[in-house]
Amino acid sequence: MLQFKLVLLGDSSVGKSSIVNRFVKDSFDEFRESTIGAAFLSQTVTINDNDSDVAQEITVKFEIWDTAGQERYKSLAPMYYRNANAALVVYDITQADSLEKARSWVQELKNKVDDDSLVIYLVGNKIDLVSNNNDDQDKRAVERSVAETYAEENNLLFSEVSAKTGEGIKQVFQSIAENLYQIRKKQDTTNINSTQRGNAPVDIHLQRPSTNDSTSCCS
Amino acid sequence: MQKEQSRISYNGIQNGGLVKPPVFIPRVIPRSPSVPSLQNDRSFNALNASDPMLNRPLFEDSTKLTPSNKTRLEPDFNPSPVQGSPSTIGGNSNLSVIDMYGDDTESQMASEESDDSPRTNSYTPINEISDNSNIIDDKNIPQLMHRLSLSDTTNKTNNEDNDDEYHKQPIPKSPRVNISSKDAENFDRYGFKKQTTYITEQEYDVWWKEYYQYCNRRKNKWIQLMEKYDLSTKDESIRRFPPKSEKLKRYVRKGIPAEWRGNAWWYFANGQQLLDENPSTYPQLLSKIDHIETLPDKETKYPDLEIIERDLNRTFPDNIHFQRESFQNTEPEMIKSLRRVLVAFSLYNTKIGYCQSMNFLAGLLLLFLDEEKSFWMLVLLTSKYLPGVHNVNLEGVNIDQGVLMLCVQEYLPAIWEYVVPSEKSNTNKTNLNKLMNSRFTPNHSHNKDPKNEFLFKLPPVTLCTASWFMSCFVGVLPIEVTLRIWDCLFYEGSHFLFKVSLGILKLSEGELLKGKHSNSLTHYTLNGNQNKERLNNPEENEMELFQIVQSFPKKILNPNDIFEKIIFKKRITFNNLDQDEIDRCRKYVTEQRQKHIPLSDNKKSLSHTNINDNSNSERSVSSQIGESGYKSLNVQKSKTMKQEHKSDEQLSGSQSEGYGFKRSITSVNWNSGLKQRVRQIRSKKD
Repeated sequence: MLQFKLVLLGDSSVGKSSIVNRFVKDSFDEFRESTIGAAFLSQTVTINDNDSDVAQEITVKFEIWDTAGQERYKSLAPMYYRNANAALVVYDITQADSLEKARSWVQELKNKVDDDSLVIYLVGNKIDLVSNNNDDQDKRAVERSVAETYAEENNLLFSEVSAKTGEGIKQVFQSIAENLYQIRKKQDTTNINSTQRGNAPVDIHLQRPSTNDSTSCCS
Repeated sequence: MQKEQSRISYNGIQNGGLVKPPVFIPRVIPRSPSVPSLQNDRSFNALNASDPMLNRPLFEDSTKLTPSNKTRLEPDFNPSPVQGSPSTIGGNSNLSVIDMYGDDTESQMASEESDDSPRTNSYTPINEISDNSNIIDDKNIPQLMHRLSLSDTTNKTNNEDNDDEYHKQPIPKSPRVNISSKDAENFDRYGFKKQTTYITEQEYDVWWKEYYQYCNRRKNKWIQLMEKYDLSTKDESIRRFPPKSEKLKRYVRKGIPAEWRGNAWWYFANGQQLLDENPSTYPQLLSKIDHIETLPDKETKYPDLEIIERDLNRTFPDNIHFQRESFQNTEPEMIKSLRRVLVAFSLYNTKIGYCQSMNFLAGLLLLFLDEEKSFWMLVLLTSKYLPGVHNVNLEGVNIDQGVLMLCVQEYLPAIWEYVVPSEKSNTNKTNLNKLMNSRFTPNHSHNKDPKNEFLFKLPPVTLCTASWFMSCFVGVLPIEVTLRIWDCLFYEGSHFLFKVSLGILKLSEGELLKGKHSNSLTHYTLNGNQNKERLNNPEENEMELFQIVQSFPKKILNPNDIFEKIIFKKRITFNNLDQDEIDRCRKYVTEQRQKHIPLSDNKKSLSHTNINDNSNSERSVSSQIGESGYKSLNVQKSKTMKQEHKSDEQLSGSQSEGYGFKRSITSVNWNSGLKQRVRQIRSKKD
């Protein structure tokens, strides 16, 4: 089994906890209590490795850190994203500001996390608010193309989802898992452990990205 | 009428030259949105003596409501139709929140001799006044009127006219929602849903059956105590409590009667003094809110408004008073009150503005106190009890977490092993460490590192425990436990939060060990031979600790699990912690952290401290807090006083070394300060 640390970042009330709740418990509450501090959850997904000599199923366990979104909690953030393998940066497609906040999170991650293999996934949440009928289209405040272009330019994974309906949620984590697995495999082959090729993936602890942020933790 | 008199006298103060003519029109403040008529002290009248708790229908068991007791029609209780409050939920058969306190408690008031032994008895409820709701409601300003006064500028310029206007307007009834008897089965006496992720409704009912008996016995004890001091024991007229004593402290620790809570908190926290010194502050803030509402650029000018707005419906979504059903067109009155308190606070204290978690503090206060008092209690909580905790840079939280970590290191060594792995076990695992980029690099965290590096590089578990302090355990523990803690917090001071935190951690020790023995987390690792390592793997321990600390408290349904097993036990050493120790410790941690936080960081965090449009309000914060004599451990302030610290004799000993907890002389461990002094004395003798 592979184990990865994933952190959720984004403005308050964009739906970070709801996304986690959908992924981990497959449920949704219209009104969730605001997250204070952080919450930790875990969930596994299964991916297929078809490239290997023998096709195999691999279980990937996510350690998920869900964080409080308000600006002032930002000072605690380094404690979450230190050693993270993946970051889910969430915005609300009905709130233009929230994409700006997402951009600043991406920037912060790129500046503070000294690890090229960090997978950043940009997620636009709440498509249920606009996709049901055309009248609601004006609720959309962030065009898909705008976010998509930004994601491409910055080498981020991207999709639009709905925690409420569940649309696209599973795929987000699935795709993160696959990406991380490919990265891990690449690192694995460059490592000395040639004997392990074709076998089960190496222990997750072998490769943990680090940060170059000397003041990380909370300052 | 009494009420009119009171309002006139209030305005008399306003206009009688004692206070300079207010810039903003003082408004009459909406009264208690929830709890039965906690009256304004200034306008107390005989009617206030109504006793909803004693008046409510009696029934044997909350799960078995009989038609006669569950249907208490309260025609006057419903808000005016304009308000559109969901008074019709549940049809005609409505229970007020008062009824929710139910379960025929007072009819079974209890024993005199033994504190807690179950008793059957015959306490007769006082049945004087039919319904308290008219009384509170008097003070309520309907939203409608609110709007009227906004659009009518002539009203705004003349206080007295304005006041008269208020009396002409139809006064809405209590904003409390009525709770149908059906809901009464699913919600507790405060309107919270009984069932949570961790507790089933059945578990709740079983426990409550016992606990409410306990509450009855305690209330009876309280009544006796109050009578000894010739103090009123009528729920709604309680203003004063006996002088502080060991006995009273014990009583508070065993729980203040729910119906008295709001007033007791107010009394013990000395809220009245603050209100008396600033009688026009809250009304003025409300007027200012009205004004802001009309501004076209309010959202850019007051960014907190938007953030508050987002949290309103995320405050107690499971509480009936805060709930907004999809079929409701208007929001509950409680939400409106919550908005006003939070916005008013953000204008009042711009250093804090609005911080997520304050919604829970204000929300809980509003269940027990009227709006204005809730506001002042929020001021007290954020300045006196949790200084700096909600500030923009959250430094107060970090300081308190540092203090808590010091306490864990001192008092809970077993837990400490999980928090910061010890040197010994680290050296055994050097190889493993080399392979790992541990989140908490063990090199930095020697178990007894005299420099206490963990104080500025806080361990991950503090991400969880920080929320304990920020929300004062609201949402962290089941509600009855939280309330017992709040009782003690206001009576004893903030050190009680640390005691309880240590208590919870101590209780979770068992859970941790359980996990260790059963290897419940083996699935974390790939194969068998890593299991052994797992046990010594700091990172896994860290996660395990975090998970337990995160979820375990939510399962503590019975307050006495903490109080009787931990807080009342004298042999548990951390029970010796007192306010003095915590204050000293906070000071020590503040200084330690200042040594390590780069100055630029301080500046950065300070620079966006204020979106301050009103320097007045900020000044008023400091002066008011200062005048009231609170030694607020203001973090910002202490930063600027950095240089003075060196001259602080009291601390000089602990600054150079690790923090020394006070210990009794007979203790084997002497504190470092004492050791030094002994050395000095000896060297002099030599």
